[in-house]
Amino acid sequence: MSHTDGVALAVVVASFLIVTCIGFASARWRPAEDPMHLNEWGLGGRGFGTFVSWFLLGGDIYTAYTFIAVPALVYAAGAAGFYALSYTIMVWPIVFVFGPRLWSVARARGYVSPGEFVRGRHGSQGLGLAVAATGILATMPYIALQLVGIESVLTVLGVGGNSSNVLVRDLPLIIAFAVVSAYTYLAGLRAPALIAFVKDTLIYVTVIVAILYIPSRLGGWGHVFGVASAHLNSVNPATGKPYGSLVVMPAGQWAYATLALGSALALFVYPHAATGLFAAKRRDVIRRNAALLPAYTLVLGLIALFGYLARAVPEVNAGVKAGHGNAQLSVPLLFSSMFPSWFAGVADAAIIIGALVPAAVMSIAAANLFTRTIYKELFRPYASPAEETRVARLASLLMKVGALGFALELNKTFSINLQLLGGIWILQTFPSVIVGLYTRWFHRAALILGWVAGMAYGTIQAYRTSGGGQAHFGGSAAPVFGHTTYIAITALVVNLAVSAVLTVVFRWFGLQDGYDETRPADYIADPVPAAAPRRARKAEPAAGGKAPRGSTVPWSPDAAPEEAPAPAEAVNARQAPAAAPAAQAPAVEDDATVVFDIPVSLAGRPQPRERLPRRK
Amino acid sequence: MVRHASPVKSPAVRAAVTVMLTVAILGALWVPIYARVLPMRGDFPFFYWYQLILVPVTAILCWISYLLLRARPAPRARPAPRAGSAPRAGSRHARGARR
Repeated sequence: MSHTDGVALAVVVASFLIVTCIGFASARWRPAEDPMHLNEWGLGGRGFGTFVSWFLLGGDIYTAYTFIAVPALVYAAGAAGFYALSYTIMVWPIVFVFGPRLWSVARARGYVSPGEFVRGRHGSQGLGLAVAATGILATMPYIALQLVGIESVLTVLGVGGNSSNVLVRDLPLIIAFAVVSAYTYLAGLRAPALIAFVKDTLIYVTVIVAILYIPSRLGGWGHVFGVASAHLNSVNPATGKPYGSLVVMPAGQWAYATLALGSALALFVYPHAATGLFAAKRRDVIRRNAALLPAYTLVLGLIALFGYLARAVPEVNAGVKAGHGNAQLSVPLLFSSMFPSWFAGVADAAIIIGALVPAAVMSIAAANLFTRTIYKELFRPYASPAEETRVARLASLLMKVGALGFALELNKTFSINLQLLGGIWILQTFPSVIVGLYTRWFHRAALILGWVAGMAYGTIQAYRTSGGGQAHFGGSAAPVFGHTTYIAITALVVNLAVSAVLTVVFRWFGLQDGYDETRPADYIADPVPAAAPRRARKAEPAAGGKAPRGSTVPWSPDAAPEEAPAPAEAVNARQAPAAAPAAQAPAVEDDATVVFDIPVSLAGRPQPRERLPRRK
Repeated sequence: MVRHASPVKSPAVRAAVTVMLTVAILGALWVPIYARVLPMRGDFPFFYWYQLILVPVTAILCWISYLLLRARPAPRARPAPRAGSAPRAGSRHARGARR
């Protein structure tokens, strides 16, 4: 591991440079009339269709850490690591159900983060703050873990490594992160959205090649499973028990299921996943993507199998041993020992770029949360959109610096512990965010206290869990009534129980509840994006069949109709000016295919030009 | 320009979607049904190939649900609430625009 693989390194550096160019160029992608708006910087103009959203969400959710840590777990413990697969299977039907509602209310009210929704829905600043703080707290170590993913690749490449000086050792990491911070600062969400194309292409290519090529070199899957099974059944001298099993044992099934369920429920409460969701152009995009994103789940499943492939390669086992038993090196080692140098470089680049995309989205998401729910709410209620954007940009930088500090200064185990805690914590906002989408039965004060109870229980329980050679934070599952259960799920049950009981109590005493600024119609709203003119023109030649028969009134495609339950400015900042002329007819048709030549006098203002540059 | 996803779907559609999504979730959540080695498919124990097959199955179930819930046909049923002289002018404009 001390030698540096020049070819692979060159490929990695070249890929990084290409991605950097794309990152900076992305500031010009789909340019906005007013880039200094949080909708633009923080949500890419809320204009991503099915295709871009697919790449962005996929690139954002299936992080490099997953690609390193899941096979590492499979390498070490076998079937238990596959919970990640069943988690990413069940997450999509779950998102299918609540995703559109969350998207609609965020679009109708102009929310850019879950914290804002909670504040508006429950009329509680405190609850909004709690959700925002939880989100930021859970995201920071998550970003740090992306760095851990990069680091394990760099270690295998022979970069950094041995120097005792932190700065020298981690210089490549620091440079990479500084560059990412720079283009995220400039381009906002557009940068990761565009880079996600590169990331995902590299990942797909790597996985397909690896899954077709490596097993044949190792003597087929039968041999691979045989070696894995032999290892897993052998006894671990440290614990006196087998390392794991090829199939989840009955004793581990409850933990397996609750881990999968808890992670699936928590995923879209994470700010970065919610940000990817909010950036979608239309309501339909969410459901379509719930059906299309499982493609990544398949990739994740295949990558998890890499853990077994790695187990069957003697060089990998020796390398992991040399790296103090760090199983996270197994996948990069598998690449370097199985592939020719240049392709190992491609695969390593896939992982490194795969870490940069989520890191960028996470820092943007946390910055959105901070700006809207903390900064604006507490310090500057009348901050202008430009000021918000400036603050969010700075906050994204701070988040990255903080995460870098985490990764470099603190013990790696510490960030992994924090990530584990983050998963437990973030699920405690589930009642306010997701349950809040459906009902306001819970009292706002009860929700806050339930959150406190869940956070406290989860943290204490995680602290008390030993395992893996650690006295504390040794695992994410702890026994409850004889079943080993994911702590986040138990904490969520505690949280919901406390919230429910206190809701009844508070109602009994007539404690005042908050004002709900959302309207039922917001949850099914499907505002048409401001890009309508462009799409309309494109659709022109084919529009004949879908002619707007029912549409009878000239209306500006941009005009916000009175039917909109939201105040016009909340629907979409760009639509606000157009709302001035009394909007004529409410939306009746599938407006994407409608084109109107409206005399300026009728429309009240010139047709908006801001979207035209996008046509190219 | 606000449309609303049509919340009114026939109970049969809603039931079908509920069943499909529940099946997809339970298929992954109910571990005992797939935590076994046999039957093997090729060299793959059941535990692995079941989960890998479940991925496209879930995707298909979600896609069918999406098609069923799609708001497309709904808007045409809604009448334009505004009447008067505007409509004719409007449709002329609209048609004129569709070259």
